[in-house]
Amino acid sequence: MNVTVKLVGIFQIGRFKEAVCEYPTGTSVQKVVDELLIPDPLLGIVLINDVHAGVEDLLHDGDTLCLLPFIDGG
Amino acid sequence: MKSRTSDPAAEPSSVLYTRCTVNLKSGTIHREDVPCRNLEDVLGGFGRSFQILAERNISQAYCEENPLIVNTGLLTGSSAMTGLRTYFSGYSPIKASKKGLPGAMWSTGSGNFGAKLKWAGLDELIFEGRSATPVYAVIRETPDGAQVELKPADHLLGLSTHNKMMVLQKEYANAHFATIGQAGEQWENVYFGAVGLSTDNQLKSGEDKMRFAGRGGMGSLMGYKNLLALVAQSPDKIKPLSPEIRDVNINVVKGGGAARLQPISRGGGGGTWAAYDVLQAFHAVPVNNFRPQGNDLPEQLFRERVEKQFIIKSEACYRCGITCHNNIHEKKEDGSAGAFLAKFDYEPLNLLGTNIGIHDAGQAARLIHLSDNYGMDSISLGVTVSYLLSYNERHPEKPLLNGATFGDFAKIEELVIQAGEGKLPEIGRGSKRLSESTGETSYAYHVKGLELPAYQPETNPGYAWAIAGGHMSMATYGMLTREGKSDMESWVEGITQTKLQIVGFDMIGLCKFFDITKGICTQMVVDCLKSELNLDVTTEALAAAVRRAFLRGLALELRQGYEKEEYTLPAEVWERPNTNIKLPNITSPEFIAELQQRVWEIFEPQLARLLPDS
Ligand code: SF4
Repeated sequence: MNVTVKLVGIFQIGRFKEAVCEYPTGTSVQKVVDELLIPDPLLGIVLINDVHAGVEDLLHDGDTLCLLPFIDGG
Repeated sequence: MKSRTSDPAAEPSSVLYTRCTVNLKSGTIHREDVPCRNLEDVLGGFGRSFQILAERNISQAYCEENPLIVNTGLLTGSSAMTGLRTYFSGYSPIKASKKGLPGAMWSTGSGNFGAKLKWAGLDELIFEGRSATPVYAVIRETPDGAQVELKPADHLLGLSTHNKMMVLQKEYANAHFATIGQAGEQWENVYFGAVGLSTDNQLKSGEDKMRFAGRGGMGSLMGYKNLLALVAQSPDKIKPLSPEIRDVNINVVKGGGAARLQPISRGGGGGTWAAYDVLQAFHAVPVNNFRPQGNDLPEQLFRERVEKQFIIKSEACYRCGITCHNNIHEKKEDGSAGAFLAKFDYEPLNLLGTNIGIHDAGQAARLIHLSDNYGMDSISLGVTVSYLLSYNERHPEKPLLNGATFGDFAKIEELVIQAGEGKLPEIGRGSKRLSESTGETSYAYHVKGLELPAYQPETNPGYAWAIAGGHMSMATYGMLTREGKSDMESWVEGITQTKLQIVGFDMIGLCKFFDITKGICTQMVVDCLKSELNLDVTTEALAAAVRRAFLRGLALELRQGYEKEEYTLPAEVWERPNTNIKLPNITSPEFIAELQQRVWEIFEPQLARLLPDS
């Protein structure tokens, strides 16, 4: 299946801003995060098709997955 | 702090803190050991100072009965990472109810002053009255305990926060400083004066890299008292690291808590600046007085853009491994760092940048630099300027002041300078008063008289119940954006239970970056208290004390005349819903009305008996 992956902020460093990636059916967000070597503590927000989601959620063909860093006040 | 018990929750009066009361009018100075009334007193910070403020009936901030309380928290000066906080409390010149009574307020900052104050032997300083002439206070460690001395400060008059520190540094070795700038000296016309706190980096380099206790005008209160600076002189007395605290500190730096605030070069998220990229993904970065336009304008101040033009140094307070400061330097032709320009934390960068139509990093740096050196709260300054610019945009035929509009750097710079010099009370007295004078209050972005930080109110109805500034005292600012919570139950629970716990950091002496998601009610803090002070405190007792302190703050607001309808957001949020923000709408009048009802149903019965009978 094809998933459009968008990365925000520091996640783009050494990776990409947006790419269409191919994954086996039933791939979870966590699997994508692990493959991209994004450290867990830095991952703040997961959006699937612009809706907040969790790392355990499964992706479907045609989804857009957006991974954003944490935000902290200050 | 002297403790005759290891169980301060059960026996608070067996813990005594050292307080020095300085009467600025008479010059009398009195030192005493004071038994604690409860665990809030033991923890310190605003948990203690608000109990002192609650004992006074104050109807205007600038009066001799309004004290300035300078204190620390239990872990200030300890070997626990970030244990550097100093707290400044009093009735605020800027935070005021519609009845006109001043709200109780605290503000806090890092730097090394608080630790030096603790090491000199004091937990708390109370400044009463007002000096007839400018003075500064020197706190020294002596064989007889901490001594406080008042000295003439005429030579400091008119100097910036930083320059006052540079002058004092020549006189006092082994000391750290808390100073006001020209803005605080001009307290009659500037209500949001900040207190600068010196850092080791600043004193060594001579660069103006101080930290600030900015919110609520505590620098203006200090100025009213004719108290221009504090000097805390003592050798460093940090304890050798115990294995327990070493483990905690490693956890703070490497664990979930603060990893994302670390420099990018260390695999971290690069500090609070990262919020720009994240919020922009939702078109929720404040632009032109909190009206995001759904375009890419905010991207001009993204770190990756700024990096091309400037050198960004990741730096830290004394011994802090979190290293959250992003200091911007000129980039020389050979690529090395030139002169220091300003610190780029998220709030000042946005509110003195994108939110006033400034998208050039060099110009934003200049405004932040001015704000810091004059000693103004960059949040209140930025939001008051953005209100003015918004007014002028709406009234091109009859603009106010110098007619500045969004993005007009030269005119905005002129406003900032004049405000800092006390020549522009329209700006210096904040957005509440300015908007009341124009009669156009709906787009003045303050809540309860205190300007909002750089998170759109559309994303955070919790602002209404923050007791000392939006993001510092109610951690709901990420609930919609980060957690995706848009249902009533989550918001009621967040405001009344979990997110108010952030104020624990403003009691105990640690930065909230110690563990921003979990707060202070954790095993890490329990371990620190045991190892540093031999105190056994449970996470439950900590949580209960933090909650009582928060509720006391709320009760104090109501006593100062705040009506329930003042617990709301700027009306523009629902009068002109901003469809550019790509998040669910949780600020409709209906949502806010139900939230108000549900939140007060929980809070109100718990407010009884928190304040002394008046
Ligand atoms: S977290 Fe930041 S502000 Fe707090 S002590 Fe560390 S470097 Fe200083």
